[in-house]
Amino acid sequence: MKSTSELTDFYYKELYPSLEELEKTRVEIVSRLQWYGGMGVVAFLLTAIWLGKNIGLFNPLSMATFLGFFAIGGFTYRFMTQGYAKDFKTKVITPLIGAIDPHLLYNPDFMISQHLFERSKLFNHSIDRYSGNDYVKGSIDGVPLEFSDIHAEYQTRDSKGRTQWHTLFRGLFLVAEFNKYFKAKTVILPDQAEKSFGTLIGGWLQSHNFSRDDLIRLDDPAFEKAFVVYGNDPIEARYILSHSMMKRILEFQKKVSYPLFISFVQNHIHVGIGTKKDLFEPAIFTSLLDYKQAMEYINTLRYTIGIIEELKLNEKLWSKV
Amino acid sequence: MTLFLVALGIITLIAVLMYNSLIGKKNQVENIFAGVDAILKKRFDLIPNLVASVSQYMEYEKSTLEKVTELRAQAMKPNLSNEQKISLDAKLTSALGAITIAMEAYPELKANENVMHLQRSLNEIEEQISAARRAYNQAVTDFNNAIEMFPTNIMAGWMNLQRRKVFEITVSERQNVDVNALFNR
Repeated sequence: MKSTSELTDFYYKELYPSLEELEKTRVEIVSRLQWYGGMGVVAFLLTAIWLGKNIGLFNPLSMATFLGFFAIGGFTYRFMTQGYAKDFKTKVITPLIGAIDPHLLYNPDFMISQHLFERSKLFNHSIDRYSGNDYVKGSIDGVPLEFSDIHAEYQTRDSKGRTQWHTLFRGLFLVAEFNKYFKAKTVILPDQAEKSFGTLIGGWLQSHNFSRDDLIRLDDPAFEKAFVVYGNDPIEARYILSHSMMKRILEFQKKVSYPLFISFVQNHIHVGIGTKKDLFEPAIFTSLLDYKQAMEYINTLRYTIGIIEELKLNEKLWSKV
Repeated sequence: MTLFLVALGIITLIAVLMYNSLIGKKNQVENIFAGVDAILKKRFDLIPNLVASVSQYMEYEKSTLEKVTELRAQAMKPNLSNEQKISLDAKLTSALGAITIAMEAYPELKANENVMHLQRSLNEIEEQISAARRAYNQAVTDFNNAIEMFPTNIMAGWMNLQRRKVFEITVSERQNVDVNALFNR
């Protein structure tokens, strides 16, 4: 796999013609947005003043009008940036992924199947709305992998019958083949309980979590502090989480700085990185040629695909030769 | 009177919970030991094959090979206590380690596909054994903590529960590999 500096070179040299073209479109969109936005604000203020004088600002009709303004504004923004986002993905992200490894395929509209997401056993809640985009599939060093942006939500109803949507997981979700055979399920989650309640009470809460399998305490204090592990086979969990594997996961956690969810089910590793945002979306108000912006695209791709090297999943073990 | 009954009820409840948690921990230790045992047996199955295929090459390590065979025979005897199994396992691990290191000196062994396959299987099983040992040690530590900490230690005393031994890393495993010695042979 190419290094970050090689990719940065690729971004600025090879992609420069498309970047320049896209940058022009972006500037046009921004000026049009400013124009429409200005007109919108003026129209909004005039309407607000008129409504305030005639029926009062907090009248339901005024409220509805304001909501209508926001809806139209959001719709216009989406409509105007849609084409640009699509162009950005085909002209920038697609070649960038190709440059990282030619064995990777990219589809901006597809996502990891809900079946795989549920198979990971990382999130116990039922899912009512499942969406995603930016799907990448292929193999790195002979290890099959796929990943995409995922947004999984569930719905609740309060006492008044109003529905509310809650995010279960939003971020990057990756599934790759693991280099050891195993039958059991092992789930690694960020350690919330011990952080908020301390080792004694938090530890007690974790061992009495009935929605999960048995708590597995591991012999690496730093790992134990950062994560909590549940599994249905204490021996296999330790077979997967060897001392070196725990160290690598900790190192990876330090690099990504987002909550990390990892599970080992059916000979596959499932990794959820809770970024809480949609990745690979072009930023409209920042220049494409901006170094920081470019680095964000490159780094996100690199650390995601780098999981394979980071966790040494490409090292074939004896049983899988 | 009611106060007395309530207190009695609470004490009984605590006693039952303590008793059950101790039994749960004891069974967990035994349950995991059964898993350890199963993986150790896998290794026993491999040893005769390994010894048979390397013995024709390794003229000078006959005594080590014999020791491995003998240890295997001992470890496979029925009615061994867990403690005995643990100590035999440690000896077997270090003897097998000695064979692995000695094999480095025989290039014809490394060219032998069959031997290399056995070696890989053995490595794989060693890794599983290491995981099983760690799981067992954790279960034993939980159990030992429970029978020594207040107030469960009182209950454990009545139940006549004894401290269990953990798998210790053998001295040879703990020592760093002396690379110089390997090169100068």
